[in-house]
Amino acid sequence: MTTSSQAAPRSAVRPARSLRTGLLTGLLLLPASLWYLILLVAPLAIVVVMSFGNSSRIGGYEPAFTFTNYASALDPTRVSPFITSLILAATGTVLCLFAALPIAYFIATRAGPRKSLLIVLLVIPFWTSFLIRTYAWLTLLGPDGIAGFIGGIIGDSGFRILGTPVAVLIGVVYGYLPLMVFPIYVTLERMDRTLVEASKDLGAGRWATFRQITLPITLPGLITGSILVFIPLMGEYVIPAILGYGRVFLIGNQLVLQFLEARNWPEGAARAVLLILIMLVTVVLYLWFANRGRKTRDVSVL
Amino acid sequence: MAEHQIDEAIRRIAQTPLSRRGFLYASGLSATAAFLAACSSGGGTSAAPSAASAAPGASAGPSFAVPAGIEKELFMYNWGDYVDPGNIETFKAAFGIEKFTYDTYASNDELLTKLQGGAVGQWDVSAPTAEFVPAMVEQGFLQKIDFAQVPNAKYIEAPFKGVWWDPKDEYQLPKDWGTTGITVRTKVVKEDVSSWKKFFEVAPKYSGRIVMVDSPGDVFVAPLKALGYSLNTKVASELEEARTMLLGIAPHVLALDSDQYNTKLETEEAVLGLTWTGGILELRDLPETADIQYIIPSDGTLYWLDTWVVLADAPHPIAAHAFLNFIHDPQIQAIETETNQYATANSEAKKFIDPALLADPALFVPDDVLARLEGAEDTSTDPLRLDIWEEFKSKIGQA
Repeated sequence: MTTSSQAAPRSAVRPARSLRTGLLTGLLLLPASLWYLILLVAPLAIVVVMSFGNSSRIGGYEPAFTFTNYASALDPTRVSPFITSLILAATGTVLCLFAALPIAYFIATRAGPRKSLLIVLLVIPFWTSFLIRTYAWLTLLGPDGIAGFIGGIIGDSGFRILGTPVAVLIGVVYGYLPLMVFPIYVTLERMDRTLVEASKDLGAGRWATFRQITLPITLPGLITGSILVFIPLMGEYVIPAILGYGRVFLIGNQLVLQFLEARNWPEGAARAVLLILIMLVTVVLYLWFANRGRKTRDVSVL
Repeated sequence: MAEHQIDEAIRRIAQTPLSRRGFLYASGLSATAAFLAACSSGGGTSAAPSAASAAPGASAGPSFAVPAGIEKELFMYNWGDYVDPGNIETFKAAFGIEKFTYDTYASNDELLTKLQGGAVGQWDVSAPTAEFVPAMVEQGFLQKIDFAQVPNAKYIEAPFKGVWWDPKDEYQLPKDWGTTGITVRTKVVKEDVSSWKKFFEVAPKYSGRIVMVDSPGDVFVAPLKALGYSLNTKVASELEEARTMLLGIAPHVLALDSDQYNTKLETEEAVLGLTWTGGILELRDLPETADIQYIIPSDGTLYWLDTWVVLADAPHPIAAHAFLNFIHDPQIQAIETETNQYATANSEAKKFIDPALLADPALFVPDDVLARLEGAEDTSTDPLRLDIWEEFKSKIGQA
């Protein structure tokens, strides 16, 4: 994009070069376009086509054109995982947001020379496999850990955290927090600190400054972070399986069941398509609300 | 002994040798499973030392005829942690195998899904559960085993020959077998739970402290056997009765967990379980969990048999057959049994197995109990069963 817009005025002067620039642009865009086609569009098309097919007797796909998979996915007894997922993803995103904003704010504005160290500390957990870190929470939250401790205080030896939505939320916030911190940090880092000073000079209090200056400037980061957290959260299945003991049953778990246990690919595909649609609608609505009244500013950090 | 403490801490996280049907859904995470398994055996569980001590005991040591033209590599696709690591090293050394790849799956369905997805020709040897063999034959995923290259197959006991899943014994070689049963912490559960019927009666009293393996083929055994039906039934009315029983017990279930059920029983988080023997037998040997009991229900239950197969288009067929013959060498097989803690179908190997293990009725089932066991058919694609299973799964712990 930038290449062509920069090339435009020059090509007016020397038309001979425009073809070569065009070729160059095309060439440079080729890897990205191929990546997009092969890894995004093609699989998506396969999933959509499969979702109208039949499951063969031995499992797997058999070509057909039927809506039974969608009918079965929308069966009232099967929609509860969709709702649970939406609630959990929304709650998880909000909790991440509230946890990430102070962290990002502190690192961006108050940390001073320790800034790089803190950023590195945020990244370090990624050096260990996500699965092992989730397993570690089993010990932390288990009867020998926090749950036992709280149980001892309130005098209920049967007190549990594991296997409840709370355990899943803790795991989710822990796992996804960095995805929220970084976009917010980037916007806060670029914020012009003199705006805050100006606001204070003009008599605004801390809260008013935060609400009218810092928050609107951070908004693009908040939106990016929320989307980055919300979308993978909707498809999450490892954390509910491990920390939720399978008692928190999400769409992700339903998809695993359809594809791996039932080997009913068409029905799994239908649910995957529905999941994509739900996410599209949710994210569009969210962006629309977030952008309302801010039409003048370009939001995207994505 | 700081090192020991670290080992202990890791063991507490990893807890046990991962059971045969270790559950890590995402196959991409199987490396982690291997890691956890490695940690856990380093933590000093009972299986590892016994395997190690068995090796020097075999003073003569088996000798192996190395087939001509054997390849330098072997690609195995197997359940996690299901071959003794020492045996793998012995095999590599004896047969000149330079690269032994051990990939893992968490369920038979995952194995089938991978092969249906086009992974044929990627591996040499695999170990599906017997009832999955016919479907794999039908889809051309298996090649006939050349038993001329596997003379040790002669040690396989009669009950495991000519069974419905492979009537002519062409495609599979029995690996390990075991049962699905009831595990009880008798310290807490004083009631009699010697049958599936009683299991369902007692369950509400221990609400929130029941663990079950995450496997429909095994969970369906409980209601169907309690009702007195075949565990392989596809009769709708019988399955609907099973649905009622399963949905009745679902709110009381703590977890569906094929991998860490033993941990949950160890910590008394769960006191009643529908489990396999994996990881349970070890707990009996620890003083604080000596009260744990594995019961083969009196109203009958399922026995499973895992089988070695050679996959179609195996890149290293000679090495694959050599491995099959190697693993059923009686002394090698005895080490396998002691490591995996499952029963073997190899009669000759029993001479080398620790007598205490051989006398264990939970492992080597007495004949009268054997008569009540039923082999499983592949019911995994039955739509009604799937419908029930999905509803059951979404109702776990939901009051």
